[in-house]
Amino acid sequence: MMTEHTLKFFEEELSQLKADVVRMGGLAERQVVEAVRAVAERDVAVAEAVVVMDEQLDTLQHEIERCAIRLIALRQPVAHDLRRAVGALKLSLVLERAGDYAKNIAKRALVIGQSDPEIPLTRSVQRMGELVASRLKEALDAYSAGDVKSAKSVWNRDEDIDEHYNSLFRELLTYMMGDPHMITACAHLLFVAKNLERIGDYATSVAEIVQYEIAGEEFADPRPKWSGVEPRPSEASE
Amino acid sequence: MELGQHRYMPVLSFPWRRAAPPLPSEPAPSVEQADSPMFAAVFEAIPDAVLVVRREGTAPAKIVASNVAARETLRIRADEEQLVSVLRHPEVLGSVEDTLNTGEGNELRYDSGGLRPQMLRVWVRSLPMPQTAMIVLRDETEARRVERMRVDFLANASHELRTPLASLSGFIETLQGHAKEDPEARDRFLDIMSSQAKRMSRLIDDLLSLSRIERNEHVPPSGVCDLSLAAREAADGLLPTIAAKTARIELLAPPPGEALALGERDQISQVIQNLLDNAVKYSPDGASLSMRVESDVAFDTDAAGADVAALRDSGGGRLTLLSPERGHENRYVRLRVADHGRGIAREHLPRLTERFYRVPGQKSGEIPGTGLGLAIVKHIVNRHRGALIVESAPGHGTAFSVYFPMHEPEQTSVRGVTKAL
Repeated sequence: MMTEHTLKFFEEELSQLKADVVRMGGLAERQVVEAVRAVAERDVAVAEAVVVMDEQLDTLQHEIERCAIRLIALRQPVAHDLRRAVGALKLSLVLERAGDYAKNIAKRALVIGQSDPEIPLTRSVQRMGELVASRLKEALDAYSAGDVKSAKSVWNRDEDIDEHYNSLFRELLTYMMGDPHMITACAHLLFVAKNLERIGDYATSVAEIVQYEIAGEEFADPRPKWSGVEPRPSEASE
Repeated sequence: MELGQHRYMPVLSFPWRRAAPPLPSEPAPSVEQADSPMFAAVFEAIPDAVLVVRREGTAPAKIVASNVAARETLRIRADEEQLVSVLRHPEVLGSVEDTLNTGEGNELRYDSGGLRPQMLRVWVRSLPMPQTAMIVLRDETEARRVERMRVDFLANASHELRTPLASLSGFIETLQGHAKEDPEARDRFLDIMSSQAKRMSRLIDDLLSLSRIERNEHVPPSGVCDLSLAAREAADGLLPTIAAKTARIELLAPPPGEALALGERDQISQVIQNLLDNAVKYSPDGASLSMRVESDVAFDTDAAGADVAALRDSGGGRLTLLSPERGHENRYVRLRVADHGRGIAREHLPRLTERFYRVPGQKSGEIPGTGLGLAIVKHIVNRHRGALIVESAPGHGTAFSVYFPMHEPEQTSVRGVTKAL
């Protein structure tokens, strides 16, 4: 894939772009891990740090966008080079959105941290958070290594995050029905879970972009998915 | 970040040199000596991961040298790779930048994340060459894990032991009080007490073995285990139990020597044992269980066995409880244990490997479980870099599939030799 460019600058610019995206990925990954930690450990300082981290992510996103557009305009790349530039642009947007969700989780952690009594469910949220973070890590590893197979394996496995989300959803409903005092904190946890589920979706988007960048086409077969909204046949019949 | 203390440490006092400082009579190594084969060999042999990075102009820092430990820890694929492509933790990158800009050393700790997180301690030091720095990473996972394990163990143990203990002391009080003169009640109570005491001791056994397994989880296992033989042994060991339930075990396995797993025999046997125990426990009387061993399969969630659409229609499904990192690259041996019990509804599947989680409304028969069996399975399989898949639906029974990396004889035996030649 890697052909020697007659213009050495060009190759350097492209790899600089990739380096920036990977750096941005590292930040987003960190944000997710720390946001989940803020919820699990009721740590206000960590939550505030995540909110601040988001500014860095936004700055980096603008920088990548600017560089990618400049590169496309000046060098007019084609084929794989064009996909590398466009891929970087797309990834920066995806990662920025993922970071926003992490920031939102951190903000909610501040509210959840004030709830009294403590909700015993933060452990389940933590487990889901760890799963989502590791999925994001795998997707970014696939990007930095240019590994389509790993990307595909991330893309195929989004379903278990959905399962965790649905299981957590039920648990939270049970708690809310059991004790109305819990509703505020549980509602926030519900959004935390939803945000994590969205971040999981972004991990699959990253995988899709890796596939697009390297192979030039999208994954062929439909992704295994169940939205969690429409009832399953067994429930409909009850 | 923990800076400060080591910030102004001179370049020569690297951590591994603390133990054995150079003899004062020896002259300091010159630049020419440092390029000698001996120094290169020493660099390679350092057990901590060591990287040298260099920055040219505004380009991102590149790795110009790395030792074996660094290449393994960070999966460095080629020379001249950009640092950020193997290590993207923002704080680490920040302190590398900082050291390159100011020439001052930095020190911090970070957590690698992922399924098998490693806690690493990082030293960044400026080198006398322009725009060049050295990064040393030391794995501190073990020490911190032991610390956390102790806390978790105490919390779990005290919580779970309280229930049988409360019941024991309740019965003791009754026996001291009004049941003293009633021989019939006394015998019944004593039976219950003895089963509670047995439960406590099982619980302690499981907790101890879980904490032992967890502590070694990031240490790759060694050895080879014949999955066919191990499955056969586990099935034979259960003969008395299943005879009482008039159940049957159908075992389908390749001949001995063909399904070899990379891993510790004792631990793999424990995985089979726990899965089989569960299958027997949740099977109705007279039912049959099936156990299938296969060799040389890929990790593929689609090929595990059951018809997912049918499971889903009945309110169940298939879920990967544990998937290997870079699973698609390896070949595996697979063991599938299926029962014809009541099955598990979809919403409980993600929580099966949680400690002390029990599916509500399921009775495990006269011998209550400890709630740790699948947690133990998961930790062992994770240590072996394997995978665990569950397929279940109410009314369809439950099947667990475990994947262990396959042992390929010709590869492992000659690897070191061919490299040396």
